[in-house]
Amino acid sequence: MKKRIFRTIFAVAISIFLASSLLFMAVLYDYFSGIQQNQLRMQIDLASQGVEGEGIDYLQKLNIKDYRITWIGTDGSVLYDSLSNVEEMENHFEREEVKEALSQGYGTSSRYSSTLMQKYLYGAKRLSDGTVIRLSVTQKSLLILTLGMLQPIIIIFVIAIFLSAFLASRLSKKIVKPLNALNLDKPLDNDGYDELSPLLRRIDAQQKEIRKQSAVLRQKQNEFDVMTSSMSEGLILLNGKGTILSINEAAAAFLGTDRCCTGEDILEINRGLALVGLLNKARDGKHSEWIMELENGRYQMIASPVISGGTVSGIVLLIFDVTEKEQAEQLRREFTANVSHELKTPLHTISGSAELLANGMVKPEDVPAFSKRIYSEAQRMIQLVEDIMRLSHLDEGAANMKWETVSLYAAAEEVIKVLSDKAENMGIKLELYGEAVQINGIDQLIQEIIYNLCDNAIKYNRRGGSVSVTVRETDKYAAVAVSDTGIGIPAEHQERIFERFYRVDKSHSKEIGGTGLGLSIVKHAAKLHNAEIQLHSVVNEGTEITVKFPKADNDHLL
Amino acid sequence: MRSKFDEQLELLHKELIEMGALCESAIAMAAKALAEGDTKMASKVPELSADIDRKERDIETMCMKLLLQQQPVARDLRTISSALKMVTDMERIGDNSGDIAEIVTMANITVSDNTKHIQDMARATIKMVTDSIDAFVKKDIALANAVIAYDDVVDGFFDEIKTDLMKQFGSPESNGEKVLDLLMIAKYFERMGDHAVEIAKWVLFSITGKKEG
Repeated sequence: MKKRIFRTIFAVAISIFLASSLLFMAVLYDYFSGIQQNQLRMQIDLASQGVEGEGIDYLQKLNIKDYRITWIGTDGSVLYDSLSNVEEMENHFEREEVKEALSQGYGTSSRYSSTLMQKYLYGAKRLSDGTVIRLSVTQKSLLILTLGMLQPIIIIFVIAIFLSAFLASRLSKKIVKPLNALNLDKPLDNDGYDELSPLLRRIDAQQKEIRKQSAVLRQKQNEFDVMTSSMSEGLILLNGKGTILSINEAAAAFLGTDRCCTGEDILEINRGLALVGLLNKARDGKHSEWIMELENGRYQMIASPVISGGTVSGIVLLIFDVTEKEQAEQLRREFTANVSHELKTPLHTISGSAELLANGMVKPEDVPAFSKRIYSEAQRMIQLVEDIMRLSHLDEGAANMKWETVSLYAAAEEVIKVLSDKAENMGIKLELYGEAVQINGIDQLIQEIIYNLCDNAIKYNRRGGSVSVTVRETDKYAAVAVSDTGIGIPAEHQERIFERFYRVDKSHSKEIGGTGLGLSIVKHAAKLHNAEIQLHSVVNEGTEITVKFPKADNDHLL
Repeated sequence: MRSKFDEQLELLHKELIEMGALCESAIAMAAKALAEGDTKMASKVPELSADIDRKERDIETMCMKLLLQQQPVARDLRTISSALKMVTDMERIGDNSGDIAEIVTMANITVSDNTKHIQDMARATIKMVTDSIDAFVKKDIALANAVIAYDDVVDGFFDEIKTDLMKQFGSPESNGEKVLDLLMIAKYFERMGDHAVEIAKWVLFSITGKKEG
């Protein structure tokens, strides 16, 4: 802008200078010609007086250089000429100024002399004797005049250029200075040009509007952040190019980044091929989802394109933690498979034996053995179904079961009474130690816990081994410990034995019997009582399982 | 003009990350196929390798265009020239993963042949590749230096495996082909480690402007 103002002012100054000097020259020329005419006339008057008085002698005495004097006779012949030889000159009767002088007494004319390449101004006067005296003077043309004045003109021109450049620069700076000094943060505090005030007022109004809107936006953003940060699902908003616009805490945690990554590309945080594929699909405007395995679990990712005006302007990425869900599903699948398998095995035996009996292919003396097998397999199935029902009952939180004060010692005594025959058959010593301890619980479940533990201790024992049940009490808890001298549980299985149908030795499960649900029932029953199970086992030496019923926690269950 | 250039540089960065991700997947798949003797998985690796080749050509074309049209200087020039060099190393990692997978598909190697050393070496190499690409993504000088230093670990594994295999060769019941296959696999992992080091060095060059070795 400064440059432009400078250029304009400078150009105007220079052109005004040029125009005025041209005009000046023209006026000057006119003025000079007037003066010359007057001078010519005066000189002619003087010369004519001299000639009238003294005749040709006056002219010959006259010594002038600026003028050319010619005396022309009445017939037009030249009587005297100050420059040329009289004899060589032609008749001057037809000359315009001479003709005019003869008829009016005085005449002028100007001619361009081809012989001398100059413009001449002529003046002629008729004398009293009818002769004519003529004076001529060279008239300077405009060009000559200008050329003659070239030096001063150039000097003035150079001075004018410098002066106008200087002034233009000063002026342009002065004009621009208040504009540069405008404080646009506070538009109304400026006092520069009045002409700017509508603009400044407008800017002020717009700034206020912007401030208001950005405050609203910030508030909305904050609201959005607060809302999304408390979500357990991960939420990432991306623009069309894949730059993160917003990422909530859960998403950042899932993707294993702790820094704030808004404004970065999503690929800088996670560059898994699955994610790249997901985003590419979303960019094509398709909704897609994928289960992705990351370091800390399995996550379901759902990418949906945000379409506006026919193009994908952004992508919403939702991330769910499905680790637990998948695990639960896995467990359920395994359980279903196991249940079907466990139910099918006895059914096969029953149906096979029954088929043989029905077809009469069994000798009469074998019938009792077959019936016995059918009975025992049916019993096993009943046991299994009962166990499953019990488990599902426990899963439901043992509804309809009565909480009461239970003596752990009495419960253990009861169990030992039931199992003593079985233990005796296997030559195992079954012993009960400890004191009478009362807890608040469900009698049936407590008995079941002890029963299952003791049953396992007998089943997985050696001939001549022993099982001891100890009931004891401390300040914090009441505990039942069942220890045996059995085969023990290898360390790698210890974590899994409480799972449904899990067996350490799968190949011998049928000989040993049981449903594989016993410890699972123990686990659930203990959980219902807020009890803690501790397992200590050494392979080939024995196992001790302790169930600790917390005392304080039992009270609030009343 | 500049903003368009910036956009193109950003795109280049993204393409490189994607190519790095492809390499990581290729090597991870090859290692998993090796560990589990999964020939089906191994047969998928060459596909990834082809993807990586395609990506390399794309990135090369992109770099050439940038060099010709934008005539970058200083940091931009370093970014583009190191990208040009990095893709070559990435492509080799893809190729080597494909080579390992090919050996696995020939089914000479059983899961029991997978000694602990080979598995450790595979893990170490994967870590190097992942870290070198992470260093590029995060422009992390320390991580790049760590990758360069970690090469000694992978080289150490290679020597150990070589000694193991030499012992096997000496025993009368050894299967010569199998031993050679395992040696090749170990060598491929070792090469991938070297390529990861090269990537890390180019990352350092693009950040600092200095390249050693």
